[in-house]
Amino acid sequence: MEDKGPTYHEDISTLLCKAGEGDRQAFKDIVSLHQQKVFLLAYSILKNREDALDVVQETFMRLYQKLDAYEKGRNFQAWLLQIAKNLSIDYYRKYHARRREMESGKSVEELPLAAEDHWSNPESSELRHVLSRNLERLGERQRLIFVMKHFNGLEYREIAQVLGISVGTVKSLHFKAVRNLKNWLSPQLGIQA
Amino acid sequence: MSKHDQEDIRRHLETCPACADEVHSLEKLLESADSLGQEMKAVLYGIDWDAQAEKIVTAVWDQKARPEIKTKRERGWLFAARFRPALAGLLLGILVGVTAMFVVYRSGVLEKPAAEAFFASNEFLGRIDQEVARRETLDYLEKSQYVLLELAQSQTESGNCRLTEAAARETRELLSKKKYLNPQLEKARMAKAKAICDQIELLFYELAQVSENLTPVQCRGIQNLIEEKDILLKIKLLKKELQESEV
Repeated sequence: MEDKGPTYHEDISTLLCKAGEGDRQAFKDIVSLHQQKVFLLAYSILKNREDALDVVQETFMRLYQKLDAYEKGRNFQAWLLQIAKNLSIDYYRKYHARRREMESGKSVEELPLAAEDHWSNPESSELRHVLSRNLERLGERQRLIFVMKHFNGLEYREIAQVLGISVGTVKSLHFKAVRNLKNWLSPQLGIQA
Repeated sequence: MSKHDQEDIRRHLETCPACADEVHSLEKLLESADSLGQEMKAVLYGIDWDAQAEKIVTAVWDQKARPEIKTKRERGWLFAARFRPALAGLLLGILVGVTAMFVVYRSGVLEKPAAEAFFASNEFLGRIDQEVARRETLDYLEKSQYVLLELAQSQTESGNCRLTEAAARETRELLSKKKYLNPQLEKARMAKAKAICDQIELLFYELAQVSENLTPVQCRGIQNLIEEKDILLKIKLLKKELQESEV
């Protein structure tokens, strides 16, 4: 069965309004439009496909409960991703943290926000491999910002809304993340220390 | 960044190999990150997103259809319409109760009568001490008299004296009783009675030191002691005096 997706003219606010009134199709349209972005964010934090799918479902369930709380004019995507980010971190702390700590002796705060390249093809470059591993060395906010910027394709403004910080702070943290990665990856980038 | 600034940077990079390398490495890093992001998105292709959306919506609608389990009572439930008559009754009851209490309190019914203070004068307490000492002394004298009379009557034809078991036990008890009687007599200032009781005590000490079967000599010695000091007479007179001075 082919679902009729929302038209470009159909405003997200209208869909939310309809969903709030119990329109199942409107809610499904919202899910269809955003589930992949939510999944990518959850996956970049949890590094597990099934766990990320669970978080996607949980995010939309939470969204439905909070529909009344949505303020018109607010960036819906940023709001949704904020819910997803919080749920992903909660999920990570609940199910992954202890296992991870036992495995590597790392603390909960060292969230592995980048996916390991076990899923990638064998021809992945050494640089990507090293980059993936070094992302885990970044601080939590730097990693989140880097992942959202480069993996989720979010703008600085959207990241700022998701994280609840200023755009200037996002830019600054992104710059620090890039600088750190550049320093750590200097041999692979051909830079002499 | 303005076009003018961009042009300045471009010209600088053309002349500065270090900065050009820096920019090049940064571009390489960001390209790699974007490439990694693209590779990561490959995982999206293995998921049936339409089915996933349907699954999510179904789960949400199932949850919606489920009766909500209230884990917490809503605030103000006590003030719900159905509780209002009960609340009004309770409030009225409290008001009536408070008013009634106020009226009763003002009328003075609840005021406790002043407690009757117990007061005993020193004189009264002294008389009590004296009365207790008097009774104790009387008891002591009666028992002593009994023991001494028995001793006097127990002389056999051979001249020996023999104390019965009961009299011997009584003698020991009287000796210990005297120890408790002494402070009472001193407190009650009964010097005369104390002096007589001391003589009796001395006699009992003598008795306690000899065996139950007294030789004629011992028996005669004790009897002489009783006679010389008129112990029995003193006992009799003291008893009479104490009985007459009953409080």
